[in-house]
Parts: sequence; structure tokens; C-alpha cells
Amino acid sequence: MKRLIIIFVVVLLTAFFLAAPGPISAGDKYQELINCDLHAGPCTHTLGGVEVTLEVTPKPIKAMQDLSFKITLTGKLPTAPKAPYIDLGMPGMKMGPNRVQLKSAGNDAYEGRGVIVRCPSGRRIWRATVIIPAVGQADFIFDVIY
Amino acid sequence: MLSTDTLYLLYLSAGFTVGFGHCVGMCGPIVVTFSLNLKKRSILVPQLLYHLGRITTYAILGGVVAAAGSFTMVAAHIERLQKGVMVFAGALIVLLGLAMAGWLPIGRIFGDHSSPGRWISKGFGKLLKLKSTMVYLPLGLLLGLLPCGPVYTALLGSARAGMETDSVYRGMLAGMGLMGAFGMGTVPALFLVAKLADMGWLKSRALIYKAGAVLMIIAGIIFIIKAVRF
Repeated sequence: MKRLIIIFVVVLLTAFFLAAPGPISAGDKYQELINCDLHAGPCTHTLGGVEVTLEVTPKPIKAMQDLSFKITLTGKLPTAPKAPYIDLGMPGMKMGPNRVQLKSAGNDAYEGRGVIVRCPSGRRIWRATVIIPAVGQADFIFDVIY
Repeated sequence: MLSTDTLYLLYLSAGFTVGFGHCVGMCGPIVVTFSLNLKKRSILVPQLLYHLGRITTYAILGGVVAAAGSFTMVAAHIERLQKGVMVFAGALIVLLGLAMAGWLPIGRIFGDHSSPGRWISKGFGKLLKLKSTMVYLPLGLLLGLLPCGPVYTALLGSARAGMETDSVYRGMLAGMGLMGAFGMGTVPALFLVAKLADMGWLKSRALIYKAGAVLMIIAGIIFIIKAVRF
């Protein structure tokens, strides 16, 4: 009986240790990849001679709600550019294809709607890859509120 | 816009890649638990029934989100239910792990002589022992509701596909078909994991079997902790 109790306590502690948030959890492993605080405001990355600005609303950015994605391009753009699009994913974990199609909103701005889904693993770091045909792609890595 | 056939293929392949890249880690403990619990019996039919149940639930969810034309609305409605299913899955894994290790006297706890609520005891006993192969079908139907990122993503696409059709009925069928294709794509990875846990040498060694039971208990507790936090 005593042995059983010891085994059960060890099992319980191991489970809590593995599931605990903080530096030991898998979620934090990707924390250092964050290159953008979209909760505070739009983020800009430079791609060749093009500045790509991403804004997501409403703020703060929460998972499992309808979000509006806006891309603004400035700089050397190709003539008759195709509309960019955004692929949403998680660094280090396959979440399936989640594409946000964007439509022109005038003045080299594009808008579309999408949803960032919730991962039961508790990981909150997400990546929005903005793909601009004939120009390239820019990764915006940010955290999401669950 | 992609043709429906292309979309089905896309969902099938998405399920396949996600199966190996995600489901193995997240839902692997469930299929491993079932495999180990089956001991010397063949895992083929029980696993297929479990997946059939899971895919049916995905298809129903796909039909609902496509007909509603909104993923977030449906997701908000089933959130509590999903949390409950996650706790149930965790508890089931823990109980089966305890039973496998011989630390849970199922006979004494759930046996016929445990007086009040005799039929409940019997029911639990049956479920825990999983004597009936058919029990894997309702288990699959229920566990198909487990909260899962890639399933949410696929449902999101199904809602969009539903919105692009000209009638609610067609939208519902498209959503059901797409989620069915996605679910089928996830089967090979999970089946492979279940098969690996089914290896004879693994089950025949008492120490390894007991270690597997301990790992199952840990996995089950983690499931419950995650469910509480979800």
C-alpha cells in the first residue's frame, strides 16, 4: 500500500511538472521567436524594397474569434501586383492550412477576415506569414490570448 | 476558388500530414491506451470503430458549421461540452492505466456486489474492461468532440466552403464531406501509433507493460489539467 501511494504521488508530480506553465512548458520554447507585438499596434517588416505592415483587430488579439487582418504595402511594388494573402500557423506545430484571403482596400492596402484557433496544448505563439506574389514573404510572430 | 474534388483531396492530405505532425503527440495517448488495454485481442476492428466514430463526429460538426456559415458561433456553443469530453478522456486514460497496472480493483469497486446503483456500477465496469468491441464506436463519437487545433482549422475551412455554396443543404453536405476527408487523412498516423503499442514483445513483458500503464496515468492527468485550463 505504501509503495502504491509513493508511485501515485510520483506520477501526480510528474504530470503536474509536464503540464505546468513556465520555462519548462513547450509554449515558452518559441517565446524568443516573437518579433511583433500586434496587441500594441501594427507591425512592419521590410521585404526587399517593400515595407509590409500588418494590423490585426480587434485588440487584444484573442483566439476563436473573428479577426480582421489588414496589410499595407509601401515602397517598390511590382506593376499590377497580385493580392497578398496570409497563412496562419504555429511555430513547431502543424495546425493545418489556415489561409486568410485578402482583398484590395485601396492605396496598396488589403483586408481580409480570419480566425486564429485555440490549441489545447496551451501554446500561444502564432505566426502570420504574409505572402506577396512576385515579392516574397514576411513572418510576423506574435502571442495570442486564449 | 478550388473545385470541390480538389478541396476533398486537400483536406485528405491535410489530415494525413497533420496526423503525423500533430495528432500523434496530442491524441496518441488515447489510441495507445486502447491498444494496450486490448491485450492479446486484435486492435484492427476496435481501432477502426473508434476512428469511424471520430470521423462521424467530425462530419456532423463539419455539416453544422457549414450550414451555420460560422465557425466561431458553433465553437462558442460547444466549448463547455468539449471541456467535459477532455476531462472524460483524461479520466478514462487514468482509470484504464490504473486497471492495467492492477492498482484499480475494478471487480471490487464496480462489481455486482457494490450495492447502490448496481446498473451504474455494471456499466462502468463494462466500459472500463472494454469487453465489447462495439464500445469503441460510441467512444470515437464522443472523443471526436475533443478540442483540437487542426480540427478547428479544418472546421474553419468547412464553414467557408459552406458559405460559398448556393444552398444550406449543399453547404452542409460539403462541410460533412470535407471533415470526413480530413478525419480519414488522420487515421494512418494514429493507426500506426496504435500498432506500435500493440507489439507482442511490449505487451508480454510485465515491467514494460506496467511502465506503459504509469505513462498512461501521467498522460491522463495531463489531459485533465489541460482540460481544466482550457
